[in-house]
Amino acid sequence: MVSRRKAPRSGQSEQWVLLAPESLSGDAKNLSDETVFVKLRAPFADKGAMFLFINSGQQICEVKAFHEEYRSWFIGQTVQQDGRLLIATPIDPLFLVLPYLIKADKEQGKFQPVEQIVVDEEFPSCGMLLQCTPVAKSLHHVTEEKEIGSKKFHKYSKEKALVWLKKKVDQTVKVLKSSKVCVGGGVQSATFIRSTQGSDVKEEDYTRYAHGLISEYLTEDLREDLSKYLGLPDLSSPTPEPPVKKRRVSDAPVEADEDYTKYNSDNKSRKSNSKMTAAQKSLAKVDKSGMKNISAFFSPKAKAAK
Amino acid sequence: MADSHAGSCVRVDHRSLSSAVSEPMHLLPCQIQKDGAANVKEYFNPAVRDREGGKEVSFRGRALKGQEVSVPSGYMGVVLKEDHKPCSEEEDRLFTVKSTFRSFTQWNLETPPSADDVLVMSLAWPKIAASIHAPVE
Amino acid sequence: MELEEFERDNSQSRLLSSPVPEICRTEDCCLGIDEAGRGPVLGPMVYGICYCPVARKKDLQDSKVADSKTLSEADRERLFEKLNGSSDYIGWALHILSPNVISTSMQQRAKYNLNALSHDTAIGLIQFALDAGVQLTEVFVDTVGPAEKYQEKLKKIFPELDVTVRPKADSLFPVVSAASICAKVARDRVVKDWKFVEDLGELDADYGSGYPNDPKTKEWLSRHLDPVFGYPQFVRFSWSTAQTILDNKATPVAWGDEDDDSAGGKSSTPSVLSFFSAPKDVSQPQSHRFFQERHLQPLLEF
Repeated sequence: MVSRRKAPRSGQSEQWVLLAPESLSGDAKNLSDETVFVKLRAPFADKGAMFLFINSGQQICEVKAFHEEYRSWFIGQTVQQDGRLLIATPIDPLFLVLPYLIKADKEQGKFQPVEQIVVDEEFPSCGMLLQCTPVAKSLHHVTEEKEIGSKKFHKYSKEKALVWLKKKVDQTVKVLKSSKVCVGGGVQSATFIRSTQGSDVKEEDYTRYAHGLISEYLTEDLREDLSKYLGLPDLSSPTPEPPVKKRRVSDAPVEADEDYTKYNSDNKSRKSNSKMTAAQKSLAKVDKSGMKNISAFFSPKAKAAK
Repeated sequence: MADSHAGSCVRVDHRSLSSAVSEPMHLLPCQIQKDGAANVKEYFNPAVRDREGGKEVSFRGRALKGQEVSVPSGYMGVVLKEDHKPCSEEEDRLFTVKSTFRSFTQWNLETPPSADDVLVMSLAWPKIAASIHAPVE
Repeated sequence: MELEEFERDNSQSRLLSSPVPEICRTEDCCLGIDEAGRGPVLGPMVYGICYCPVARKKDLQDSKVADSKTLSEADRERLFEKLNGSSDYIGWALHILSPNVISTSMQQRAKYNLNALSHDTAIGLIQFALDAGVQLTEVFVDTVGPAEKYQEKLKKIFPELDVTVRPKADSLFPVVSAASICAKVARDRVVKDWKFVEDLGELDADYGSGYPNDPKTKEWLSRHLDPVFGYPQFVRFSWSTAQTILDNKATPVAWGDEDDDSAGGKSSTPSVLSFFSAPKDVSQPQSHRFFQERHLQPLLEF
């Protein structure tokens, strides 16, 4: 991204425009609190991403950048070439702990203190996650717990994780609906976004969309498990709908002479997706969006890349 | 937390927030290849016109159309500045809050701004994020 | 001439006019069109019309209006007052095209060149006279482009009018000379006392004629270059004189809609489409379309 900028700076950026939760201003009043950006392992970024810890880590935010190439800022009496707008939004820190729990379960498969689980040579700051009160309070959503004396031991539970994630999907669907986010299966281009919801949007579209959003925070294995758990049809090998129920997915004319019987007679042509509608293709593409499974997520390749 | 600070940590001096002033912000539809002083209040601000359908101004002889965009509710805008580069890799980087903002002007090249603008839509992210990341019942 | 109306906000164009003489509503009238300030890199371009009854052409000629280029500024001022004093049978209207409008029109995405802008302004002024109740029959127009094509265009739009388009019409037809005087007087006055939209304090007004080859104009342009903003709106950014200085001395500015071969030719900027197509970093997981559609990316480094 940076390499595409026509006048790359020699050093790092020295100034940032950031939107952050108002709780940031609480930090200013409490001098003992720390406000820091640290790099952590994240499923949506191969080499880690920056997170903002507010109130000494009681609130953890992920940071997205609104980024268009031809943007710059005027800030007071100055110009800033970098026209990015950073948006720090609170993240459920359990998402960041989850990959460690899964990995520990795969490798050791036993109950362990969470301090032993969340350890990362490459991202030493991950230990800060455990100082975040919400993490301790929510571990039970995704682990079996044992308490011996005053010490707690945890073991990842996929079943519990899926129940937890389904609740996440449900609450996301609610907000997607009220926010009028366009979730329809229509072909979406980055430059053209329909402002109104098509009349043909189904409940499943919302669920799939919410699943897609939450998948940003999941490794590939869990993402697929969640998809099955939610009962979402696998679109990478689409089940053809009967022609009568065919949905119009965009304003573009639908190929009228699509022969759906072909799918039934010839499985190979289905796999080669030569007859997938554009919408199916795009959805399949989105759902396959480069998510890594848990072993790849912690692969030595990623370490070497640092 | 001191042990986890080694190397990759960027600290924000939040005490600077209370003394930070609010400054007018304009997000332009072009890349100006410069960081530093600009005569914004001499050349730009007095040329901004409030017309029917939004704000208008020109920059370098090109027509811009704009709208005032508020920071999403529950959020605040800050400009973070690194005053000194650290001398070594080991040292933490330190940013101070240079200024704050509650809104900014979004400028499009010739196109009137609307609720369908990508920027406006991107500001819906905090609301969607909140639904994903709220603790479950 | 109520120039204050334009000067209140000279970032926009403005139409000014005299009252329509009663006689022009009842008698057949001729109308002349000319422009002032087409060439300069500074200030507005002014389009003027002047009209009077066909039967009073002789009176107009006797008032010794002539090609305004051969007149001194003082002569033009005097003649304009004379025209204004003959408001019983002579009317005029002016369209002042703001330099800001010229800059932004000529540089807009769907290019709008100066000829098209000129033609549209002239057509607008003829229509203005018709709408104001002037009983027009003859129209005389000065042209810089090919006269025949322009004449054809005007005849198509105004089939009921007898349209004559000629180069140097301002020296051939007194009614065009009169229009030319009105336009030039307006331009001279506006330029001489330009009200800068910008807050530039005591800015020296020693900018000469505004023509690119005027040494005073050139010097003023190099003296008043702002590295970020370039120039005040007084300057026509679309003029190559201004462009060249900006390209060489001002901070480079890249716009998303510039073609490789466009003016300035700053760089081979990728098109908007290529910006969105291929993922920039193949090793980076592709994010959900929610983020792609909103141009949101995770922050990887600080």
